[in-house]
Amino acid sequence: MSFISFWFASIPVSALPLLLACLGLILSERSGVVNLGAEGYMAVGAMSGAIVTLLTGSPWLGVGAGVLAGCCLGLLFAFSVAVLKADQILSGLAVMAIGLGLSGFIGRHWVHQPFNGMNAPDLPGLQQLPLLGGLLFKQPLLAWVSVLLVIVIAWILHRTRIGLRFTAVGEDPAAADNAGISVPGMQMLAGMLCGALCGLGGAYLSVASAHIWVDNMVAGRGWIALALVVFARWRPGRALIGALLFGAVDMLLPRLQAQGLQVPVYLMGMLPYLLTILVLVLATRSRYRDEPAALGVTYLRQDRH
Amino acid sequence: MSKANFKTLHLRGLCKRFGECTVLENAGFELHSGEVHALLGENGAGKSTLMNLLTGVYVPDQGEIVLDGQPCSIRKPADAMAHGIGMVHQHYRLVERFSVAENLVLAADRAPELQRLPVAAKALQETAEQLGLALDPYARVADLSVAERQRAEICKVLALGAQILILDEPTAVLTDTESESLLAAIQRMANAGKGVILITHKLREVVAHSDRVTILRQGRAVASNLATESLTQADIAQLMMGDVAVSQRQPSNLQTNGPDLLVATGLSASRNDGSTAISNIGIRLRRGEIVGVAGVGGHGQPQLCEALMGLLPIDSGSIQLDGFQISQCSVSQRRSYGLRYIPADRATNALALDLPVSDNLALTKVASGSKGRFWISRKGLFQDAQNTITEHRIAGASPQGLTRLLSGGNAQKLVLARELDNDCVVAITHSPTRGLDVKSCGAVHTALRELTSRGGAVLLISEDLEEIMTLSDRILVMNTGCITGELPGTASASEIGALMIGGH
Amino acid sequence: MAFQFALQRRANTSFLRSSLTFSGGLLLGLLLCVALLIQAGVPADMLFDDLVWQVFFQADGLAQTLTLSIPLILAGLSAALALRVKFWNIGIEGQLWLGAIAAMAVSIYGVGSDSYRWALMLVAAMAGGALWIAVPLWLKERFHASELVVTLLLSNVAFQLMLHLLFGAWRDPTQSFPISPAISEPERLLKLGFGNLHTGLFASIGMVFLVMWIMERSRFGFQSRILGSNRQVAEASGIAVGTTLVVMVLLSGAMAGLAGGLLVAGTEYRLTQHLGWNMTFSGIVIAFIARLRPFWVLPVAVVLAGVYNAGATLKVFYGLTEATVLLMQGIVLLSLLWCQFIAAFSIDRRQEVSV
Repeated sequence: MSFISFWFASIPVSALPLLLACLGLILSERSGVVNLGAEGYMAVGAMSGAIVTLLTGSPWLGVGAGVLAGCCLGLLFAFSVAVLKADQILSGLAVMAIGLGLSGFIGRHWVHQPFNGMNAPDLPGLQQLPLLGGLLFKQPLLAWVSVLLVIVIAWILHRTRIGLRFTAVGEDPAAADNAGISVPGMQMLAGMLCGALCGLGGAYLSVASAHIWVDNMVAGRGWIALALVVFARWRPGRALIGALLFGAVDMLLPRLQAQGLQVPVYLMGMLPYLLTILVLVLATRSRYRDEPAALGVTYLRQDRH
Repeated sequence: MSKANFKTLHLRGLCKRFGECTVLENAGFELHSGEVHALLGENGAGKSTLMNLLTGVYVPDQGEIVLDGQPCSIRKPADAMAHGIGMVHQHYRLVERFSVAENLVLAADRAPELQRLPVAAKALQETAEQLGLALDPYARVADLSVAERQRAEICKVLALGAQILILDEPTAVLTDTESESLLAAIQRMANAGKGVILITHKLREVVAHSDRVTILRQGRAVASNLATESLTQADIAQLMMGDVAVSQRQPSNLQTNGPDLLVATGLSASRNDGSTAISNIGIRLRRGEIVGVAGVGGHGQPQLCEALMGLLPIDSGSIQLDGFQISQCSVSQRRSYGLRYIPADRATNALALDLPVSDNLALTKVASGSKGRFWISRKGLFQDAQNTITEHRIAGASPQGLTRLLSGGNAQKLVLARELDNDCVVAITHSPTRGLDVKSCGAVHTALRELTSRGGAVLLISEDLEEIMTLSDRILVMNTGCITGELPGTASASEIGALMIGGH
Repeated sequence: MAFQFALQRRANTSFLRSSLTFSGGLLLGLLLCVALLIQAGVPADMLFDDLVWQVFFQADGLAQTLTLSIPLILAGLSAALALRVKFWNIGIEGQLWLGAIAAMAVSIYGVGSDSYRWALMLVAAMAGGALWIAVPLWLKERFHASELVVTLLLSNVAFQLMLHLLFGAWRDPTQSFPISPAISEPERLLKLGFGNLHTGLFASIGMVFLVMWIMERSRFGFQSRILGSNRQVAEASGIAVGTTLVVMVLLSGAMAGLAGGLLVAGTEYRLTQHLGWNMTFSGIVIAFIARLRPFWVLPVAVVLAGVYNAGATLKVFYGLTEATVLLMQGIVLLSLLWCQFIAAFSIDRRQEVSV
């Protein structure tokens, strides 16, 4: 029983950075842009968060720095793609490399220096609740901010006019252009938000979870987040579920190993990815494809005619 | 968007050039409130470009747009909307995933009251009722039929406050009943004080449902603001075709004896979206014959070509070439029997522009294996290319040079040199002289005639009536995916035009 | 009188313009890298020494550079082959690992006789890579699933598979790290007596020329070129588009798999987690700079290998991490992409229509 409690309590550590990155990528893809730079945004976010927290002693400032760093890198990408009409995939890879590289380059002086990051607030009675106590109440405040973000983004996307206009850009840029929406403008906004959210996810890793900056902290989470977008079928609510699932598997396997159980942990580790492939194949077949119809398309008004 | 009804719209002296190509020259017309003004012209005559200028997709190089006496500057779609100009395109600008009402909310930048879903839905319903059309504002666009989508788009544009409505070939994809319903709605719009610009190919519509007509030909207005009351369809057809001065008809190479070379019967095929492109088409080609297929664009001509070539699967019918049944054959098999294709859009369908000239020339031979089953010699290809360039006088071309740099006429010469090779038996050509200057046209015609003198045959599908009348031994007329009639090659323009009118 | 700017796609770009913008982009990227390194504390006068002289013109450095280039050449070939037919292979690492696993399997299970097992290992490696890319290829053809996402996901799956083997059945009990037992002597590729360089270099270079030969001289290569340029034209000319696509993509996977096999048989002599770090991105960068031409993959890959080699030195002497090399690659790629904009678009200034 306590095994499960501990397991549950540790899930958000893995799940929430994924969730935040996934939210950012959902926004980007909803505007029609494939953004392979996620790993880079998270990396600079994690690094900036750690450094600023080390320097100022304030975890929230660190988180803010992470968001800003991710946003700037996201802006670089968005400018390349939305204004200069560069190939989305190659630009994304370039920005990823820049992000990963910068974080290692600048962060090299700051590795392995623990700091007082964000801790879970003290909630004695609630934290001791069986099963869900740790999961729900032993998380840093940033965790709740993340969940709040899911709700806010879902509401804006699905229930407001600005969300409608935003989604239109990724569905049918010609129609959006016709309706007076600035396609490059929206894509720039999406790129910056994506960078910001991924940066926030990175900051979560360093400031809220590990309280340290080490090389290669992100460890491929940006790519997993990309897969999660497909799994979540471009909906924020489902992203939360998917992230929790991935996190659960991610946190389960080492624990099982530690218990000395003979489980094929790595084979099980394949499951989330295989599952995502299955979702992708099934989703592509369904009549109402979830993928934004104009995903990956570089739009130029003059090309239409 | 409360705006006083507009009174007049004048387009004057509009010019538009793309690089070297002048698409519109000194074009213009007038529109009054309460009027339905038809805009006629062949594909490539400039109708789309003219409307693109009016709706802000392009900016004119010269000329002006004057609304109610005030010149206006329309530089982007939003400006057009601001001036009350709305367009319903042939390919609707509706986001499929959204409902009709959501699409209205999307577009309601300048109409804040329409930015709430229930209000938008109500506005749509009211507009639809006024026009006498049925519309469910909450239906998803993806679920709607073509006719329903069109209604949705029209109502959306009107609900946004459009005073001037441009309709691009609205009845092209509708059934008779749906067309009638739409045309009645258009009349109601005009009665309510709107101005309607109706782009159409259907002469019956022009005569019966429009007040005035403007006819475009090769970027110019050959007839402007003509009242249609006193015109008949024949009059309009005459104006559209112009004085088709048929240049000297060359002697025919037709060998009347002998079996048919290409026989297609009952051909039917559909487009990607499932709509029928061609139905029950029958074509017969004999040795030495040039059969022309006349008709305005968009009536299934590309699909006919693709079906014959094997690029589009046929729903029913059969094709025989030189006695062989080729309906189930692959493209390469059909080519091996001597079938060749010169498509209309050479940049997209006939040439790999980023590759050198020699590659494009050798393309089909390499694919068929006649240049070597496994290994090919680049040097050999270069040599062949140089020979071909010299023989066919393709200017500006060198074997290593990029194909992209060739002019239109020379690029087409390249395509012809490649396709009309010695093994060519039947050539399917689609608008082979589109966008070419007079001299290049002559070269193309000579090449086609040369093929027939060798005993080959040509299927000439073209919107250029003069070309068809000059070259063809027999003329078929195509309309909405069917052959509506056959005439001898000596038929007059009005006889051909009469067959083009038919249909809805 | 106000002006507005409109973006217009250029109809054709002269050779001069495109080569100028390409070189300009490359130069800009390199300059930024140099500035970066100087800022990091590398003395400017040492830059040339570290980045160029030591890694290309000194025996030890050159040997290491060439050794590093062996898998990079193949990764570049893999990316180039796939991109030529517009297939986004973001799973080069995964195919590389599958190749390494396949090669290791041949060794561990003692398939074939000792004398030619090394050859079997390499063939198995190619087969492993081809198999791993066949899955996303099939999913794309059959279900229209995005190969971008599937190759990426399968890369992760391959990594998990490798960990499963390294921590499990293939774990060398004598080692504290999770690595496989070493392969036996006859299975190892011969050293060339020049540092760590081994005969795998011939395999890589050989592949470059083989692919080049196929692309230039064979009917298949010609057809794949057409397919990559314009699919409609290829279909209308009777080219078997489907088959051509399949062969090119499988070749791409095989190249990546071979890289893994060569790493196992020639450099590491065992299977480890750290094989093929960052191969996917490097492969794509190499392919892009080489303009997808097999011949140019060779020098570009060698240059990049030199940069990686220099990176190791920079790490030791100036405390820079491998991340620096990644950063430099990213900067160069982005500069190239930005400069491409100048070649591909023109900006028209338009005057207001009416006064």
